[in-house]
Amino acid sequence: MDSILQRFSGARLGVNAATALVIWGLLTWLNQVIDPLMSYYLATTAMYATAMFGMTILLGLSGQVSLGNGALMAIGGYIFAVTSMNWQTVPLLGTPWNAVWSMVFAGVGGVVFGAAIGGIAARLRGPYLAGLTLGIAVGVPAIANRFPGLLGGENGLMLQVPYPEGGYASQDVGSEEETEESSEIGVGDEPVYEELPDEFADQGEQSGVDDMLTEDDFLSEDDMLTEDDFLSEDDMLTEDDFLSDEDFSTDEGFDTELVEEDLLTDDDFLSEEDFTTDEGFEASVDAGAETQNGGDAGGGNEFVGGTDPAAELDPAGLDSEFVIEQWQASVAIAVACVVGFVALNLVRGRQGRVWEAVRDDPIAAAVSGISPAGSKISAFVVSSLFAALAGAVFAQILSYVGPGAFTLGLSLSLLVGVVLGGRNSFIGAIIGAVILVWLPEFVLGLSADRGWQDQITNNAPNFIYGLLVVLVVLVAPGGIVGGIQGLVGRFRSDSRTG
Amino acid sequence: MLRIEGLSVSYGAVEALKDVSLEVPPGRVTAVIGANGAGKSTLMRTLAGLEKPKSGRVLFNEEDITGGKPEDIVRKGIALVPEGRSTIPDLTVEENLKLGGMWRTHAQRGTSLTRVYSLFPVLGERRHLGADTLSGGERQQLAIGRALMTGPQALLLDEPSLGLAPLIVTQILELVSQMAKDSGLAVLLVEQNAATALRVAKTGIVLNLGQIVKSGPAHDIAQDEELRHAYLGY
Amino acid sequence: MIDFIDYLLGGVSSGAIIALMALALVLVWRSTRVVNFAQIGQAMFTTYVALTIRELTGSWFLALIVAMAAGLVLGVLVHFLVIRPVKRLDTSGAIIATFGVLIALEALAAMVWGGDPEAFPPPIENAGYELFGRIWPFSPYDLLVLVSVVILVLALSVVFTRTNVGLAMRASAFNPEVARLSGVRVNRMLVLGWAIAGLVGAVAGVLVAPLSTLSPTSFDIFLVFAFTAAVIGGLDSLVGAVAFGIGTGLVIALVSGYSDSSNAPLVALALLILNLLFKPEGVFSHHKARAV
Ligand SMILES: Nc1ncnc2c1ncn2[C@@H]1O[C@H](COP(=O)(O)OP(=O)(O)O)[C@@H](O)[C@H]1O
Ligand SMILES: [Mg+2]
Repeated sequence: MDSILQRFSGARLGVNAATALVIWGLLTWLNQVIDPLMSYYLATTAMYATAMFGMTILLGLSGQVSLGNGALMAIGGYIFAVTSMNWQTVPLLGTPWNAVWSMVFAGVGGVVFGAAIGGIAARLRGPYLAGLTLGIAVGVPAIANRFPGLLGGENGLMLQVPYPEGGYASQDVGSEEETEESSEIGVGDEPVYEELPDEFADQGEQSGVDDMLTEDDFLSEDDMLTEDDFLSEDDMLTEDDFLSDEDFSTDEGFDTELVEEDLLTDDDFLSEEDFTTDEGFEASVDAGAETQNGGDAGGGNEFVGGTDPAAELDPAGLDSEFVIEQWQASVAIAVACVVGFVALNLVRGRQGRVWEAVRDDPIAAAVSGISPAGSKISAFVVSSLFAALAGAVFAQILSYVGPGAFTLGLSLSLLVGVVLGGRNSFIGAIIGAVILVWLPEFVLGLSADRGWQDQITNNAPNFIYGLLVVLVVLVAPGGIVGGIQGLVGRFRSDSRTG
Repeated sequence: MLRIEGLSVSYGAVEALKDVSLEVPPGRVTAVIGANGAGKSTLMRTLAGLEKPKSGRVLFNEEDITGGKPEDIVRKGIALVPEGRSTIPDLTVEENLKLGGMWRTHAQRGTSLTRVYSLFPVLGERRHLGADTLSGGERQQLAIGRALMTGPQALLLDEPSLGLAPLIVTQILELVSQMAKDSGLAVLLVEQNAATALRVAKTGIVLNLGQIVKSGPAHDIAQDEELRHAYLGY
Repeated sequence: MIDFIDYLLGGVSSGAIIALMALALVLVWRSTRVVNFAQIGQAMFTTYVALTIRELTGSWFLALIVAMAAGLVLGVLVHFLVIRPVKRLDTSGAIIATFGVLIALEALAAMVWGGDPEAFPPPIENAGYELFGRIWPFSPYDLLVLVSVVILVLALSVVFTRTNVGLAMRASAFNPEVARLSGVRVNRMLVLGWAIAGLVGAVAGVLVAPLSTLSPTSFDIFLVFAFTAAVIGGLDSLVGAVAFGIGTGLVIALVSGYSDSSNAPLVALALLILNLLFKPEGVFSHHKARAV
């Protein structure tokens, strides 16, 4: 019996891994062939889906209405931003910092906060939980205002994509007024960027914008968080084979399609040491000076490399074009697939049955030895982890974190998406994510045809969301997926009986 | 006055009442007795409109009131004192009473209130206190008083003896039976406590597993030893 | 010490408004066991209606009256179109539906009136009174707010404690079955609860608008404050809602005064968490209904 179960769960693991892998492969391929705007949509959709997988578990499986997930995204986003801007090495380990570590820490932050909120939430019933998490959604992003130095206050923090090796840098958003405010309060008198190594600050000031924002900095694999880094991170993801280097660099396989592969490899990643030594820094600056200015002001987000140092390092290098949206999408897709894989395993395994048992009948579950509180807390922890990771991805997509990015509206969007798509399935979460990204564009298209006023165009999607949510609750509580399942079920039973 | 014809009620798959027919005449107490789970409360709740019957009819003064809403049925003159203490502890004694029969005229309600206070003097003494300060017996009086405030022609009492001392039960039931005689009230009394109920009732009906197994003069049923052993457990 | 008094005085009118909003939440909760998270959206919407009326007629008072009527109608509409059909299903459905209404109302307001903050000037002087040679942070407008709230609360308490309708509403809230058996048309009382809540919320909206600005989402924070106050008061208790509404306003004013106003949501959150951890049934509640 045990061995059958084990074999079965092994097979399930394989199926789930294969599912995630196939989806990842498809999306990665898609990401290569679509234009940058579509890549941006893809990135946003994947980010929403990541957060909404957590909502599916919390709302669908565990039956808890929470609005706190936007706040947990804020926590993930801020942790990602602050750690990658301020930390050069991993505490205790001493190894060079990079964006993967920032993701890990964002996830850890999500787990910690999720456990804390879950601990309170487990004692609460429906409306109390909803109200509490509403308070969290409104209150937590306001914390940023308390720490204008560290968290950027009302203005937030810009994540400058051409970051010094190993992390993102802060753009100088510390306007004068901001700095004044912070010194008034006595927290973090100095703008963050000044805490970077002196050489960098000096060099930066002397060399001016042109030298600082070089194309090399923007585009070269040297500076970028690599796809590999994300995917092969053992401690974060259990199935390293899923996204290992081998999978990437074998000649068979994705090679010809995977543009990131040659752009973004471990080898190319400049280590922290390179950065902190004069040599490394100068080398980097020199390289930057040689290349043309990326000029992010007017040139949009697409940068085409003139020189490609990667070609020297990687003989397989095929393409020198790097599109920031593509890179963001590849990060978002990878995180979404890994999170989806973890979620599938949880839900299809014992834990999923525990959550459902507690949702359907807490007393019966308690009698059969399941702790209802424990189950609710674990649902919170998992969904918070996903939300925090999604928040970290969001920070990278926006290159920004700030109270304005993590509003109550974001939390409500997650609720809308998961309810519309179908709160009981991950497919529903994905459909919901697609709706969230697609509907505003659809309305924009309509409005262009009919010449609507901006205030109509911009707000019509939310109006539609609100009405749809009410409608779904009234006529199809299972959302789109539940509705389709219901129709299919009725069709089947009809054809059987008649 | 109140006639029930072939009444069946189900809770999902549970058939709580099966084809029950009986008549509740004015001016006297009719007792329905039966063990726990026999369907007594279901019968009362259905008459009051709280449960919908699957089949059968309820006629009140020859009018078909089957499936009516509770707030309409009580206006027609059928008042239920449900099982348990059906008072609202958050309201004062007088507010509990005034809740009954709000649709009636001011004068009618005044008369009823005076009458309730004279029937149950203790309620008059405590009129401005919270209902939560009353004892069990006093609360039962308050619940009956609230029902009387609606000016009923038929009074349905669901286990008024529950949790009360025997002496108080006897007092309350005698009062009810006196009221029935004096004012022509039709009283349907449901009891698990058969002996007490049959003492004040004219007619007795024995309910078992949702069906009537015996009905007749209360005296005869009280004497029927076999019946007592089989269905009433004493 | 004089700071303390200043901060407290400054919190009185917002506390009174929070009390109204909390009262609206409690009225709905008592009638249908639903926390109407759309309440603040309704209040926002009717405040925009008031703004329009005021711009057309120049009369603040007329605007208030129209907003109250609109609030009443909106409350009834939400009850009939959303809550009554959904209520039979699950509680999470009702909660989600109220958020759906909130989203739709905020978007609708933005579509009709635009999303930018609008000024809603006070009808009378909003500069502090000068007394004993100093200016106190309590203005004629604060006095107007306080008086309006007191009048409304007194009127409501008369309705609830002295009239048959009020008795019927309370009975319907505490024990709908006994109320129905007594002949009360409980469904109508539920509608009435939503209607009165809508009206009270509308007053709160019109009163609070000059103290903040008016935008589709600018009142959201008051939902958090009001929910906190209502929950601490027991969610069932009208007295509790008023008392803790004012209390929440004062605490927020003190903390904001001594630190920074951006702390307000965190203070509310902390109060809420403390209450849910240590006195989950609320201070004035009769029921221990909150546990899982
Ligand atoms: N709300 C309900 N749902 C399901 N079954 C019920 C319900 N109320 C009563 N029953 C069942 O109906 C039967 C009759 O119950 P009831 O009328 O309360 O009996 P009595 O009042 O004679 O003790 C019992 O088997 C009981 O379990
Ligand atoms: Mg019974």
